[in-house]
Amino acid sequence: MTKPTIGDLLNGVAVSLRESVLPEIPAGPIRRQIQVAISIIRRVSVAWDKTGPYLYADNKDIEETLRRVCAILDRAGADGSGADLEPMRQRIRATLDRDDDSGVEYPSPAALAARNVELQGQLVELQEALRRPPSPQSAERPPSAERIEILAMLRVLFRRMLERELEVTAPPGAKK
Amino acid sequence: MTVSSAAAVEDLVIRLKGLLKANLHRAEEIQIDNVAPITAGNARQAWEFDVRWIDRGEEKKVSCVMLRKAEAGQLETDLIPEFRIVSALWRSGVPVARALWMDSEGRWLGRPAFIVEKVEGATDLFTLLKSESAERSRAIAQQLAAIAAELHTLDLNKLGIDFLPATTRETAAAQQISYWESLFLKHRMEPHPVMAAAFIWLKEHQPIARRVSIVHGDFRFGNCLYEGHRVNAMLDWEMVHLGDPVEDIAWAYRALWGPQAFLSLDEFVRRYTELSGIPVDSRTLLFYRLLGEVKHSIISLTGARSFMDGRTRNLFLADRASTISSYLMQFLDWLPAEGTRD
Repeated sequence: MTKPTIGDLLNGVAVSLRESVLPEIPAGPIRRQIQVAISIIRRVSVAWDKTGPYLYADNKDIEETLRRVCAILDRAGADGSGADLEPMRQRIRATLDRDDDSGVEYPSPAALAARNVELQGQLVELQEALRRPPSPQSAERPPSAERIEILAMLRVLFRRMLERELEVTAPPGAKK
Repeated sequence: MTVSSAAAVEDLVIRLKGLLKANLHRAEEIQIDNVAPITAGNARQAWEFDVRWIDRGEEKKVSCVMLRKAEAGQLETDLIPEFRIVSALWRSGVPVARALWMDSEGRWLGRPAFIVEKVEGATDLFTLLKSESAERSRAIAQQLAAIAAELHTLDLNKLGIDFLPATTRETAAAQQISYWESLFLKHRMEPHPVMAAAFIWLKEHQPIARRVSIVHGDFRFGNCLYEGHRVNAMLDWEMVHLGDPVEDIAWAYRALWGPQAFLSLDEFVRRYTELSGIPVDSRTLLFYRLLGEVKHSIISLTGARSFMDGRTRNLFLADRASTISSYLMQFLDWLPAEGTRD
């Protein structure tokens, strides 16, 4: 079954509530609650089928960025400047390898979301590792070319992530 | 959510009479009329009503507003400091409602609540942001600058506000970062790497405050109770704290609700500095504008979490997490390039 789509159905519910139910409700807190419910249903009616592709694209983008981060950390490891970041590099590699082993052709939105949370966690951990002093004796991490390069890369990634999020979360008709 | 059914009103009247009897020792024939719910944000329930009583043969009357803590919401603030700061600021030059009575533990009213004298006027952000009310909005924005100047230059030692956590010029920013980060870690429903990046940036760029002042914490157009072109009271002191005064200016000028269409930020700052003598450093202002985006994201997250956990059924909070992306995008838009000083 393909029709009605969930989006069509939800949009129809929102229109019915707005046109048939809302006019019968007097002004006040209950009416305001129903107006909010209608706005949420309208947003979900537009966003529901974007969630899977959004998470898929987001995961691929984060994975690709983490691969590039690993390459930078490999380089830093080779010249000895990033020895303390080696455990972080290994954890990122392990996370990336886990996806290659999944073997699922069409992951469910729930699986994509779980992977997204895992990758988000890796990005948080990476940022903390880049900020942490290299040894307990140092007060702070000295700026290094690798750190600057990775942080700049992450900043661009974050912008892309938010742009994708806005595609899904913006209310219908909102200006981008 | 407030339901103004007859039963709810009757119950509230009984509760209010209990509180008033405990506070008005000589009062006889306490009468409560015209009870009605009013809109007051998502963190508290608000009701207005009139109280009449006889005190040693003389009839007294006061119109009141009661603010009662909501079951759960987007802020986890204590009502006691709010009541005490409003009491301390009465007749200080900063327009506030007169604080009357407090039920700090919810003994009478079921949840913590306080009552202030009703101040005439309206709070209507949408009207203020409309271009057709430009003249009034500019006048109110100018008063906002004057109120900020008044508030931020009050002598803290004379006000008796030691109930607010102490801070110093050096620690003001760190305390705010720490407060909001702890809320973020408590309420987040996923890791949020952009928010983590934001906190790292904020920690690495903390400004030293020019002075420590009372910071309203939610200082903005939407919290001005105005009548015509005049601000009669500043409302919603629930996020009040001691800190860097620039924080209030940055919050007032968030893109979402700021009066920039009627009074530019530069004009506001010029007027504020003229009146207060407090210079506003552009780097400090940027820091607090960035913190403001993070702060509003966390307020939204807290509301969404309260709803998801079933601690509130207020639908205004249900989808608040979806607003965060636009605040964080604003954060990235304002963020200086890596390696620059401002």
